Amino acid sequence: MSKRLEPYFDQELTGEERRQVDEHLRECRTCQESFKLMERIRGAIKQPVDGAVEKEDFQLMWQNIQREIRLRESPSWLESIRVWLDISPLLQKKVWIPALATMAILVFVTVPILFKKSPSPSVLSVVEYVDSPTYNVMVYESEKPEVTVIWLFEGQGEELSTS
Amino acid sequence: MAYDEAEVISRCQQGDQEALRAIFEQYQKKVYRIAYGVVRRREDAHDIVQEVFIKLFRSIKNFRGKSQFYTYLYRMAMNTALDHVRKMKRTRSSSLDEEGSPQPADEIENRPDQILYQKELEEKLKEALEKLPSDQKATLIFREIEELSYQEIAETMGCSIGTVMSRLHYGRKKLQELLKDDLKRDF
Repeated sequence: MSKRLEPYFDQELTGEERRQVDEHLRECRTCQESFKLMERIRGAIKQPVDGAVEKEDFQLMWQNIQREIRLRESPSWLESIRVWLDISPLLQKKVWIPALATMAILVFVTVPILFKKSPSPSVLSVVEYVDSPTYNVMVYESEKPEVTVIWLFEGQGEELSTS
Repeated sequence: MAYDEAEVISRCQQGDQEALRAIFEQYQKKVYRIAYGVVRRREDAHDIVQEVFIKLFRSIKNFRGKSQFYTYLYRMAMNTALDHVRKMKRTRSSSLDEEGSPQPADEIENRPDQILYQKELEEKLKEALEKLPSDQKATLIFREIEELSYQEIAETMGCSIGTVMSRLHYGRKKLQELLKDDLKRDF
């Protein structure tokens, strides 16, 4: 009968089984004590819970839940970067450290070469040419350095002087 | 407006916060009772309920409807509360004297000796519950606080009815041993 006492206490017995335990309980002092003890444990567990539920502010609780969900849905820009760094498989593997170092070296080496100003050869340009029966004169000029060349020809292509 | 659970769950799975609110209003007290039953402290129970519903909102997509929704939610609540206790044990600093300590049933009896007795009993009960294995404690709370049937507890915990009965029996027996002097006192 003692095996049925707990299911009886928990209201898990059928009508007939309950009736039998009821009858037994009226006579058995040990089972009465056990039943009373189970009731006390139940009361001790349950009573403070009922009291706490009555005091609780569930509206405030809901507001906290809502705020927390919103916060997690729209993280700050700093958080977004952190999350992106966390989820990027390439960055997770730390391969970016040697990759960035290589890129930096390449930039330092190539940029000075690409942007180096090489001195351009001074190109002389003909600014004037005079053709005459006695002398032919040709004037050349260059901008940098500022040079003027005057070329005198005599007769058929014979050079006289330059200055 | 009537609470249509299947419809509300479906909306919640699509990220509808109003649907989550409907679920919260339906289950807030039940989840709170489970949480309080485990931690026996209002502030902790409050935090656990919040955590449970935030978790639920993120994970409800995984609920396929193969079991009753309450078993899914109660299991989540119980696991969250038990995890909370484990964390608390690691960083134990709470005291019954501080604000928010277990609430004696002073709403029921106002006699000073009765209040003192309830407070002492609650303290001892908390200690005794902590000594129970997690599965026995969870089974006792589902039965004594939430008043679930053996069948409902078995579904929630994913075990047989026989296992539920066994856990209840040994849990009660252990509590009776630990609290025998305190429970025999009469007023």
